[in-house]
Amino acid sequence: MRNARAIMQRELLSLFCSPIGYIVIAGFLFVTGLSVLVSGSFAPGKPATLREVFFWTPWLLTVIVPAISMRTICEEYRNGTIETLMTTPLSDLQMVLGKYLASLVFFIIMLAPTLAYLILMEIYGNPDWGASLSAYLGLLLIGVAFTAFGLFASSLTSNQVVAWMLGSIPLLIFACLAYFIIGHVEGIWRLIFQQVNVIGRFDEFSRGLVTTDGVVFFLAAAALFLFLTVKVVESRRWR
Amino acid sequence: MIEVRNLSKHFGSHRAVDNISFTVNEGEIVGFLGPNGAGKTTTLRILTCYMPATAGSATIAGYDVLTESMKVRAVVGYLPESVPLYPEMRTREYLRFRGKLHGLNKLAREAAIARVIERCWLHEVIDRPIGQLSRGFRQRVGLADALLHNPRVLVLDEPTVGLDPAQIRATRSLIRELAQEHTVILSSHILPEVEATCQRLIIINEGRLVASGTPDELRERITGQASLIAELKAPRRDVVDALQKLTGVTDVSGQMQDGWTRVNIATDQDVREDIAQLAANKNWPLRELRRDIATLEDFFVKIVAGTR
Repeated sequence: MRNARAIMQRELLSLFCSPIGYIVIAGFLFVTGLSVLVSGSFAPGKPATLREVFFWTPWLLTVIVPAISMRTICEEYRNGTIETLMTTPLSDLQMVLGKYLASLVFFIIMLAPTLAYLILMEIYGNPDWGASLSAYLGLLLIGVAFTAFGLFASSLTSNQVVAWMLGSIPLLIFACLAYFIIGHVEGIWRLIFQQVNVIGRFDEFSRGLVTTDGVVFFLAAAALFLFLTVKVVESRRWR
Repeated sequence: MIEVRNLSKHFGSHRAVDNISFTVNEGEIVGFLGPNGAGKTTTLRILTCYMPATAGSATIAGYDVLTESMKVRAVVGYLPESVPLYPEMRTREYLRFRGKLHGLNKLAREAAIARVIERCWLHEVIDRPIGQLSRGFRQRVGLADALLHNPRVLVLDEPTVGLDPAQIRATRSLIRELAQEHTVILSSHILPEVEATCQRLIIINEGRLVASGTPDELRERITGQASLIAELKAPRRDVVDALQKLTGVTDVSGQMQDGWTRVNIATDQDVREDIAQLAANKNWPLRELRRDIATLEDFFVKIVAGTR
């Protein structure tokens, strides 16, 4: 675990040393701020809730989260530093976990300033704290799952832009497909899409509904992609 | 310390390393020599657990590189050819990070960093971002990293490539110093490089081991089959005929100029004494008699060209 922590610290340092980190944070806060403004969440007479803002956030995260994790592993390959990493007493799993945790911590740092809207609502109104906190739990779980996918994308290539596209495009398509197609299919397909409907699952959280299978869905997705990432990193040794 | 048995590595149909075996003893400093693309880096990468071999096995300090990879990594310090570093980190930050990965606690880490700063003359760049450093300093940071955990074995892949002559000399003397405490294996495609620093050479070409031994042993091997040169004052025909009768002489060729005959004698043993005796018996004045000493460089070029 100490090794994973060392990797995580280095990764965070790199994220905050590069402009990418700040651009991502600024972009995220700008768009969420804009959606607060456009949705008129603070208009007089409206219910004191961030639900309309939260509706758009998962879509935004499909492109933002892979941008956080895009450089983690692919940069090691491009730089050649993977060679020094893989010849120190550090297992592939520790390396992947360290990088994963760094991206996740960065995600939380990026998310944290949006709590300001909630605090403002508390000052000027009476928000539903239960629903809001469960919505934040939902965002966190989306981050947990999406980051693992972004990391997986990053392990496949040594080009950052490609890693970002490999991460965000499938996520976006997947989110769209499950969300928009679900009303048009019947039977077994409907059941399947219901299970993997990321946006729908998040919607439950933003309504204040924390279900076990919702939590398990995101955690299992994260575990799956972390496992695949470790396997990809391992397999690249053999080529 | 290092034992390599029948090691092979194939990339598709290309045999990068083909059935190589050698051993390196504790405290030795061994040069791994070969032209570009000979399989040096691949072999070193297998030894440092970066990639697995296709066939064969290797052990370092008794640990197998495939099955006891973590133990091998703990005793090996590795400087890769391209000296990969993180440009956004400062030198001290980088060394701290590497120290953590080697499991050094804070106290041991700071002590180790102080030691390698001293060893690799990093004082002036210790707080500068690595991305701003010159090639020479980057090389030293890489070397400092390899030395950080005081490894028993140092694996250096082309440690002086890209350095200026002064830096090359400094690095060589540093490597020789290091060999007092560590077993060193270093690769190069430049012969004088390894001749100057190493006790023993291993020459490989196209993935195969073509020769190994101390520089003197290798030189012996060439001069053993090398030619003698003699200059005698006598008619060419007489000289050639007489010399050909000596045992051990395989071929004689000569030319005459101003009454002196200069002969080239191909032989598999040292017959200089016999030639001197012959000259004395026949009363031929002898003004030159020497072995044509080939340099290791010739040998290297010959070996590399011969196997091609």
